[in-house]
Amino acid sequence: MNSRQTLRPQSARPAYLAVLWTMLRNSLVRDMSFRSNFLIESITSLAWMMMNLGFYLLVFKFTRELAPGWGKYEFFAFLATTMLINSVVQAFFMPNAEEFSEMIRTGNLDFALLKPIDAQFLISLQRVNWSSLSNFFVAIALLAYSVWKMTTRETAPLPLHPWMLMAYPLYVACGVAILYSLMISLAATSIWLGRNQSLYDFWFYITNFSRYPMEIYEGQVGTPLRLFFTFIIPVMVVVNVPARVISQPLIGGAGRDVALGPGLDQQFLLGFALLATAGSLGAARWVFQRALTSYRSASS
Amino acid sequence: MRSCSIVVAEPASAHRNLFRYCPMSTIEITGLRKSFRAYQKQEGLRAAIRGLWRRNYREVEAVRGIDLTVEQGEFVAFLGPNGAGKTTTLKLLSGVVHPTSGTARVLGHVPWLRENDYRRRFALVMGQKNQLWWDLPAQESFRLHQQIYRIPPDEFLRTRDELTRLLQVENLLSQPVRELSLGERMKMELIAALLHSPDVLFLDEPTIGLDVVAQHNIQQFLKQYQQQRNVTVLLTSHYMKDVAALCQRVVIIAQGQIKYDGSLSGIIDKFSQTKVVSLTFAEGRMPERLVEFGVVLACEPPKARLRIPRNKVTQTLSTLLSQGGVEDVGVEDAPLDEVIADMFAQVHDNKSPTD
Repeated sequence: MNSRQTLRPQSARPAYLAVLWTMLRNSLVRDMSFRSNFLIESITSLAWMMMNLGFYLLVFKFTRELAPGWGKYEFFAFLATTMLINSVVQAFFMPNAEEFSEMIRTGNLDFALLKPIDAQFLISLQRVNWSSLSNFFVAIALLAYSVWKMTTRETAPLPLHPWMLMAYPLYVACGVAILYSLMISLAATSIWLGRNQSLYDFWFYITNFSRYPMEIYEGQVGTPLRLFFTFIIPVMVVVNVPARVISQPLIGGAGRDVALGPGLDQQFLLGFALLATAGSLGAARWVFQRALTSYRSASS
Repeated sequence: MRSCSIVVAEPASAHRNLFRYCPMSTIEITGLRKSFRAYQKQEGLRAAIRGLWRRNYREVEAVRGIDLTVEQGEFVAFLGPNGAGKTTTLKLLSGVVHPTSGTARVLGHVPWLRENDYRRRFALVMGQKNQLWWDLPAQESFRLHQQIYRIPPDEFLRTRDELTRLLQVENLLSQPVRELSLGERMKMELIAALLHSPDVLFLDEPTIGLDVVAQHNIQQFLKQYQQQRNVTVLLTSHYMKDVAALCQRVVIIAQGQIKYDGSLSGIIDKFSQTKVVSLTFAEGRMPERLVEFGVVLACEPPKARLRIPRNKVTQTLSTLLSQGGVEDVGVEDAPLDEVIADMFAQVHDNKSPTD
């Protein structure tokens, strides 16, 4: 008995990386065991993406710019960013948020709370849907193609700065973090509501606003929308900031200044995105912890 | 030991390895209460629509003031009717839910603070819920547990092999959990819960829905495991056989309160007001009105079984014997199952009107 006790590692810090690795591995093993499902899911999400792309190809037959500064390839880079972020969120967090609601309803959340590891970490990353990641690679290809087109065109080519390539993944990660925060907060409300099936719907309504350049939100309706979804629920920052980083010259560029409205210049946005990320993560953590103390655990 | 269960103020984590020498009991509960609001749904569509804006809530007191001390190495059974608060008590002790009031300490930790130091040292097994990945072989889930609990690889393999051998599931480790039978799955759940060698084990109806053989296997395993490791176990079960086979101490909970705490045989002394008397009469000598002596359980001349109030047994027997014609007499306690069922029913009938 005594020897068994001393065998235990003295440091109580859980091995987060090892746990994450095992969960990723287990998810992959699981996904692979349903081969056809894996294949079909990959194909449907690819098809959905192609349809989207086709639609915008049509749109650009009739217009040169969707909004000031957003020509065909700028917008395709924007689209690629949307897909990139969505594919990461859908692969890593969407199945878990859904599962979380279900765990609350059935009482299986008990098991997550028993483990000597952060419950939010465990719940957020338990199951990964690898098939959603197929879009990730297509998005990278589309991004590379758009950037190549922008840098090699004759009129006003994009001056690609190494800084842009470094900042892009950072802001993509910020975008993912903001969407994740929103999603886990929404899912955590199921603890109070008992059931929250509108998760997907609500999710779709809100993220809808993140899918277009923020310049299109102008005027009596547009400006309040833009301000709300930038400062209150910062979903507009999610795609716009990284897309801007990669497609609009910021530093040392020719200075194609984009009219953002008063007080919303590029540098401000870059700073604000970081702040919004930290704020969202903090708020999500708070909501999650608060929700857990109200957890009642469904009957055995 | 129980007399010295005054709460000793000390940082529990600093003394983890010395813990066995502390005067503190493994589990100490005082005045533990848990109540929650339940939405009272009326019948019918009209009521459902009204329920959209005006809801009637009912305060459900799942646990109302439990005091309990359990020493290291005890195997305690929680008995009680459905909804008595057994599972809620286990959930409180494992920190899954927060209490409304009261205190509890398990291994020196307050459970609902959910400290990692505490969570490494206990396990909760629920017969009606499963934590293993449904589509994966159990061994993949075990691997994940190894990482979460930080079990050293050699210790992990040793414990896993020992447990799979004891439960005879060595050849099922690589089969997806969804393809296992209920009994096999329960064994895997047990293994998953025991991989980190917990010091305290909470078992919530671990044999529910299992056939007699599987039930017996799991009982045997639990008995052996508990004796070998001297772990502290709290078990809830509806099967008397589980309790009789495993526990020296029985705690009866009804309506969120402890009604009895003691040995299994003590239940009969406390709650059974009657004894069963079996009589064999000589040919044609059976009295015509047996009812006068007690409740007739069976009457197949020349044999009869009567239920007689305990305090009247000697008197009745001497009357019967003095009449003559009795060839054989046996006096037994009422069967435990019946005593407990009667007791639950009594408790149910005595519900106070405030409920």
